[in-house]
Amino acid sequence: MLLDLSEEHKEHLAFLPKVDSAVVAEFGRIAVEFLRRGSNPKIYEGAARKLSVSSDTVQHGVEGLIYLLTESSKLMISELDFQDSVFILGFPEELNKLLLQLYLDNRKEIRTILSELAPDLPSYHSLEWRLDVQLASRSLRQQIKPSVTIKLHLNQNGDHNTQVLQTDPATLLHLVQQLEQALEEMKTNHCRRVVRNIK
Amino acid sequence: MELSEYVQKGFQMLADPGSFDSNTFTLLLRAAFQSLLDAQADEAVLDHPDLKHIDPVVLKHRHAAAATYILEAGKQRADRSTLSTYLEDCKFDSERIELFWTEYQNNRNSLEILLGSIGRSLPHITDVSWRLEYQIKTNQLDKMYRPAYLVTLNVENTDSRSHPEISFSCNMEQLQDLVGKLKDASKSLERATQL
Repeated sequence: MLLDLSEEHKEHLAFLPKVDSAVVAEFGRIAVEFLRRGSNPKIYEGAARKLSVSSDTVQHGVEGLIYLLTESSKLMISELDFQDSVFILGFPEELNKLLLQLYLDNRKEIRTILSELAPDLPSYHSLEWRLDVQLASRSLRQQIKPSVTIKLHLNQNGDHNTQVLQTDPATLLHLVQQLEQALEEMKTNHCRRVVRNIK
Repeated sequence: MELSEYVQKGFQMLADPGSFDSNTFTLLLRAAFQSLLDAQADEAVLDHPDLKHIDPVVLKHRHAAAATYILEAGKQRADRSTLSTYLEDCKFDSERIELFWTEYQNNRNSLEILLGSIGRSLPHITDVSWRLEYQIKTNQLDKMYRPAYLVTLNVENTDSRSHPEISFSCNMEQLQDLVGKLKDASKSLERATQL
């Protein structure tokens, strides 16, 4: 599958062959850093001054690079497809090699970052538990009522959320049994077939 | 056992065979237990033909007194000797003490369950449901190809009688971690019960 690059995008990337590879490598590093942490316009100005071009040009160059990397990573295109897509831009061979290396080196991390943008449900982080026995309450004395207190740690959008819950021994056994069944389900023929065939 | 004067007076009146014969006494006791234990019970519980001859105000007083005493006894988990002592102090004859004890024994379990269920506690997990899915792509990311679980815990709140749900997603390793920890808890429980 080839990347579909718009005219505007190609224009922005056209800046890259005009500077030497060390600069392109540096842009690549900035691009990934911006994906990790968000963009920082001051960097554009600094680079623009050093290269004697407008900061807009630098910004477009870096953003073009970011888009190139994210689209390639999103679609998980093969090396060959990446090379073919970039070939259209008419860049020198050395630049193409550099871009390919940039893609391959950062693909995994970019995919991880992109996966964080998906609709997010709270996800499991960890669980703490404690055994308790209730001995008495205001309305009834001399009890022996065992219970399990659970602190469930969840993550959502980077926020850590805890829930404190309780359950009785019978329900605890039921929970374990049900969730073990859930784990077993992945090992069934049906699931294995699906995993094998959808690739 | 600390009972208010109003209650004590009412209760002591139940001992008097002149105003209450045994039959009426038993009926009133049963009515008291029914008011406490039957969720659908209302004032009609005192509408028995054999209780009609009693002045309603008096009837309500005795009924309330009996119910209050029953709750106190249940709360303190009174045994036969504690009950007998208190009833003797209220001038109950042995026949009435025996009648009271019989009714109390019949209803004891339900009473204790009722009293045990009153009170505040943490949200209580009642059930779990799960869903296994295979993630293929999102609008940001193609070719994901990974299994994921969605787990929902059904939770009951004693106060508000509300039933919120707690849902969260997890991958296989995380679910294994969760199940492992819950199994540790249940093993610990087993060991504790054998001590």
